[in-house]
Amino acid sequence: MSISMALFSPHASLSPYSSSHSVVTHKPLFTLRPKRSSFVISAAASDGNGGAGVAVSVAEEQPKAEAANGPVAAASASAVETEEEAAVVLNSFKDPRWVNGTWELKQFEKDGKTDWDAVIDAEARRRKWLEDNPESSSNDDPVVFDTSIIPWWAWMKRFHLPEAELLNGRAAMIGFFMAYFVDSLTGVGLVDQMGNFFCKTLLFIAVLGVLLIRKNEDIETLKKLIEETTFYDKQWQATWQDETKKD
Amino acid sequence: MASIALKTFTGLRQSSEKTPHFAVQRPTKTHFQKARIVASKTSPKLGNRNLRVAVIGGGPAGGSAAETLAKGGVETFLIERKLDNCKPCGGAIPLCMVGEFDLPLDIIDRKVTKMKMISPSNVAVDIGRTLKPHEYIGMVRREILDAYLRDRAAENGAKVINGLFLKMDLPGDRNAPYLLHYTEYNGTKGGVGEKKTLEVDAVIGADGANSRVAKSIGSGDYEYAIAFQERVRIPEDKMAYYENLAEMYVGDDVSPDFYGWVFPKCDHVAVGTGTVTHKGDIKKFQLATRNRARDKIMGGQIIRVEAHPIPEHPRPRRLSGRVALVGDAAGYVTKCSGEGIYFAAKSGRMCAEAVVEGSENGKRMVEESDLRKYLEKWDKTYWPTYKVLDLLQKVFYRSNPAREAFVEMCADEYVQKMTFDSYLYKTVVPGNPLEDLKLAVNTIGSLVRANALRREMEKLSS
Repeated sequence: MSISMALFSPHASLSPYSSSHSVVTHKPLFTLRPKRSSFVISAAASDGNGGAGVAVSVAEEQPKAEAANGPVAAASASAVETEEEAAVVLNSFKDPRWVNGTWELKQFEKDGKTDWDAVIDAEARRRKWLEDNPESSSNDDPVVFDTSIIPWWAWMKRFHLPEAELLNGRAAMIGFFMAYFVDSLTGVGLVDQMGNFFCKTLLFIAVLGVLLIRKNEDIETLKKLIEETTFYDKQWQATWQDETKKD
Repeated sequence: MASIALKTFTGLRQSSEKTPHFAVQRPTKTHFQKARIVASKTSPKLGNRNLRVAVIGGGPAGGSAAETLAKGGVETFLIERKLDNCKPCGGAIPLCMVGEFDLPLDIIDRKVTKMKMISPSNVAVDIGRTLKPHEYIGMVRREILDAYLRDRAAENGAKVINGLFLKMDLPGDRNAPYLLHYTEYNGTKGGVGEKKTLEVDAVIGADGANSRVAKSIGSGDYEYAIAFQERVRIPEDKMAYYENLAEMYVGDDVSPDFYGWVFPKCDHVAVGTGTVTHKGDIKKFQLATRNRARDKIMGGQIIRVEAHPIPEHPRPRRLSGRVALVGDAAGYVTKCSGEGIYFAAKSGRMCAEAVVEGSENGKRMVEESDLRKYLEKWDKTYWPTYKVLDLLQKVFYRSNPAREAFVEMCADEYVQKMTFDSYLYKTVVPGNPLEDLKLAVNTIGSLVRANALRREMEKLSS
């Protein structure tokens, strides 16, 4: 699109890179406090700029703004971009507990022990912030945080256990009703079912199904994944299919 | 670059050790062998002349193919449309290429010994600690490398023709020659060349991603990535940081399926990015890459903007009759790292070796089956490398959490050692099994943690 090209070209031909972008009045100066309202403010500010689609482009860097309807969207996208760049220059990620490129665990202490959940929350918020407002990586204050400093049991407790509970619950419900169903159809009790090969296979399939298919979309996803694993191989062997056909 | 031997992840055919240098094998066939169709034995001896082969395209693939052909006694024609072409390119060559192709050290502008990987949340990891003092990634200017290889081919007897290949007439019967139509540029005509034709017995298509030779033999299309790059001249003090360091930025903002880079060149840096699936947004990705590197390239002047296609996978037909494709024309660019120069040169050489061997140093006509041997050898030698890199791309370039995990994994010394060993010497190295297991566990751990954080992030935005 010529207009978006024209809008982009000032960036491209900007000879010396200067950090002196004009401050846009909309964007409030705020440090990131652990409140969800901060994101609402940013969304509202950019909404004021015009174009509902624009707020989307700030929240997620989707190409929707570009693909959208013509000059208006492109103009506001570029304006948001400058605003965003200005915002980035003015407020990069700041948090009192983020010291020297990593989380200072001392500040997360609760009752004398590190509150790992709070560390996980803080890191999630930082990543979300950076995803929405990508920042320049700098040599002066490099980011050295490694998620493995959070011990494995903290991850288990927070993420694995609730999900495990959910899946085990589903498996138990399915198991109970399948056992009842098979018993009512064939008269084979639960203990005898476990001795039968066919029933054991059904059990295996049920467990796999519960593990792999969490949402309706997962069935399609699984099919695509299976195709994907062999796609590259097929592309490489295409030249050999040709040979066998030619005979 | 990121070619890690993950034995536990994939059930690859682990090739047993391969020597990086392939000598031309002398055939040991007897005259009366009938068990295999050895076509070169049934193809006619060319009485009073040598085999004529045209190499279309004078880049690394064409140059090395022409050199090997000429050394093997074949009458070689190298057709290149622009002898001073500054091909837009990352310009990185692995260490083994310097040895295998006897490259003089003065064509290497810079020796990169450190790389920095930067994740979407700006976690920066330095890799290169495990490199030995003599190991490096060479950064070259394509115009210098290409010219060197072409000149060497000419010294060995190849005829370099400055011309643009137009089309090719396929042969009428089994041993008839191919008729090439091309436009020759010589100084006198001032730009508009004169149309000429050339009769040859075999053709090696080394004319790059938009190969016309490939079109002539109907070899089919491939998906390709667009790589967009800006050359930026930055102030001296900032250039000192990039003295022997290259950077790789990953993230959805920089590219949805590739990476952004800052590579040092002779006296400036190249800042670029690429994508397969969202080609229309390449400018946006480029801006994001510049943004991420902003502090380090501040005060820089853009001196050049360039873009080029990168094949994603081989063409469906890499060979037809006595025409074979090599290099980018065949689609030999690895996934994940997008490396193509070494594979282009190597495939050119391998194909030429197959021609020389099949024609017994130019004395006999070649057949398609002789050229197929090159494909067999190529696939067998480099298939594990390509497959591992494809797997890495599928696993680690999938999403931001995966990229975070990728960068986290790169901090590990074992990973760095495996990566560099595989990249510099182009062998999939079977590592220590215990370390491999630890690596697999750590990888899964990183991926799980990053994805768990992603779910937290989604909760925040909803």
